[in-house]
Amino acid sequence: MSNETFFNDSWMDLQRKYWDSWTEMSRKAMGTEGGIGQLTNPWESALDNWWKALAPAAPDASKDFMGKMMEQGKVFFRFGEAFAGGKPGDGVSPTDGMAFWNKALEDIQKGFSGSMDDGGNVMQRMMSFWEMPLDNWQRMMSSMSPMPGDALRYMPHDQVKDSFNRVLSAPGLGYTREEQGQYQELIRASMDYQKALQEYNGFYAQLGVKSVQRMGGYIQEVIDSGKSIDSARALYDHWVMSCEAVYAEEVATPEYAKIHGHLVNAQMALKKRMAVLVDENLGAMNMPSRNELRTLQDRLQETRRENKKLSQGMRALERQVAALAGTPLEAPATAIRSVAPAKTPVRKKSATKSTSTD
Amino acid sequence: MLPIDIRPDKLTQEMLDYSRKLGQGMENLLNAEKIDTGVSPKEPVYAEDKLVLYRYDTPEGVTPDPVPLLIVYALVNRPYMTDIQEDRSTIKGLLATGQDVYLIDWGYPDQADRAITLDDYINGYIDRCVDHIREAHGVEKINLLGICQGGAFSLMYTSMHQEKVNSLVTMVTPVDFKTPDNLLSAWVQNVDIDLAVDTMGNIPGELLNWTFLSLKPFSLTGQKYVNMVDVLDDPDKVKNFLRMEKWIFDSPDQAGETFRQFIKDFYQRNGFINGGVMLAGQEVDLKNVSCPVLNIYAMQDHLVPPDASKALKGLTSSADYTELAFPGGHIGIYVSGKAQKEVTPAIGKWLNDHSA
Repeated sequence: MSNETFFNDSWMDLQRKYWDSWTEMSRKAMGTEGGIGQLTNPWESALDNWWKALAPAAPDASKDFMGKMMEQGKVFFRFGEAFAGGKPGDGVSPTDGMAFWNKALEDIQKGFSGSMDDGGNVMQRMMSFWEMPLDNWQRMMSSMSPMPGDALRYMPHDQVKDSFNRVLSAPGLGYTREEQGQYQELIRASMDYQKALQEYNGFYAQLGVKSVQRMGGYIQEVIDSGKSIDSARALYDHWVMSCEAVYAEEVATPEYAKIHGHLVNAQMALKKRMAVLVDENLGAMNMPSRNELRTLQDRLQETRRENKKLSQGMRALERQVAALAGTPLEAPATAIRSVAPAKTPVRKKSATKSTSTD
Repeated sequence: MLPIDIRPDKLTQEMLDYSRKLGQGMENLLNAEKIDTGVSPKEPVYAEDKLVLYRYDTPEGVTPDPVPLLIVYALVNRPYMTDIQEDRSTIKGLLATGQDVYLIDWGYPDQADRAITLDDYINGYIDRCVDHIREAHGVEKINLLGICQGGAFSLMYTSMHQEKVNSLVTMVTPVDFKTPDNLLSAWVQNVDIDLAVDTMGNIPGELLNWTFLSLKPFSLTGQKYVNMVDVLDDPDKVKNFLRMEKWIFDSPDQAGETFRQFIKDFYQRNGFINGGVMLAGQEVDLKNVSCPVLNIYAMQDHLVPPDASKALKGLTSSADYTELAFPGGHIGIYVSGKAQKEVTPAIGKWLNDHSA
């Protein structure tokens, strides 16, 4: 079966079947309080299954991009699901207008605060949008480390901090005291990085709450205007605008600069401790260490720098000699090919010359 | 009336439409050919370490300017942004105005390049490229066009080698690195650059990508992909999008020692404004720049805010200083249709007027 046939026929047929079923379930759920919150978005499931089947065939040039599109497609439709006929909680009627949506937004805020359980599945998936900045950090970390970028994310910190600090403060003993000290430093750096990561995560949780408030303000404006939002795309776009607006305000603050700096510095400090241990082990195996290689690089670069300057000076002298002798100069060894002398046309100047502006 | 009135049947239709566009778009993606980088013909004319100096072919029927133009691009991205699309190419636009265009491709530094310093780039690589062009054309001076960080490099180079520069164009170039709206600068103030460089050696391109994407994470890593579904049914637009996508994530690692000095001297100490930038034992002084200067900035630039570029006014001793404001963003100044119609011809005309 060709791709074209799949997309034009089977793909669309599959979609229609899924959405026919989903629509039917939605209609049934309308009369069931809280029922829609338990539904799994069939489009997401279909998309997941389809992508898993097709991803191996995607060309490398497109695969990463296609994966991103799949993920964001899901986010897009979670918004529609969350608000399409949904009922955020008991005791509030849709006819109450803003009160109804205030309740919905309050539920989202509770979710950010960690006080909402499984009953808020739909809302929680919506909130996962706010994990995007943290996800970016973890992906970047994964590319620079043998450990997964989220390795320390869920590791308990506060509960074990005192115990760890007590162990870490113990002096090294015996023949291996220096090695013990190295591992203590590694653990300290790891704990500091974990703390920095939690601060970073906590900062974004607060932003999530503020974005919900911003979105609430927008909804109020919609109510005041007498209009309504009738598409998932518009809802998604306004949610992005709310998030981006709050984000831009908050990450410009000195508080965020400190959190950002702490995160980067803690990560670097941890990585440095790891590098020290690697060098120790390389030395034990009588292999060149990173420090030794860097020393060689520095000395080599210094030598190359001097050599290039001397070569440049010699070239200048050669040009002077050639000019005095009136003989053509050969191209330098690093030139790939000679460039034919450019023609010397006579160009008309424009009527007015550009001048500096005030 | 409810503020959100998304009926299930309407939502279903919307999702079906999205799915249909997605399906059609995926076919185009699966059939996408290899993404080319750089569409205008060029020839390598000089090479040194990872660096390659290219000369672009002059179009037929165009008489090249007697003073050649060297484009100095940033280290943190790849230079094919200036030549990324057939109908939106800054390079092609400059060639059409008669510029004899050269461009430095810095390549992809690896750990063997860690010890390369800012001085090596400015007074080494750039200077030897300039000398090569001067010798090849038999001219004493050439024109320089610096882009973003490359503009900062060009300013430093011109201040130290004014005798070799006929005129200077800076595009979206940071001069004042501590304007209030510069997020990158605000974030880096608390970063221990020495620790980072001592630890990493070279600074990975992935770290820079994360930093740039963190400026607008929801738009750049989220909404962009949803919105692009609307154009994925057009193979040409798919190809152009993939070109841009490739460029965005194609960030070279940064030579550690260069990164150390550049970030500390400029982002943390604001070197062009406060002074103190030393290269080869000599302080960089923009007052030594006396040639004509054209300073171009983007009015909606969130990477290099307008005020960061406009700060150049008054810092040089040029008697012929011109500013050009472009009503777009940092990337749009190279790839938007408006930029192709306004900015590139303006650069070409200005250079022609100052190359007699």
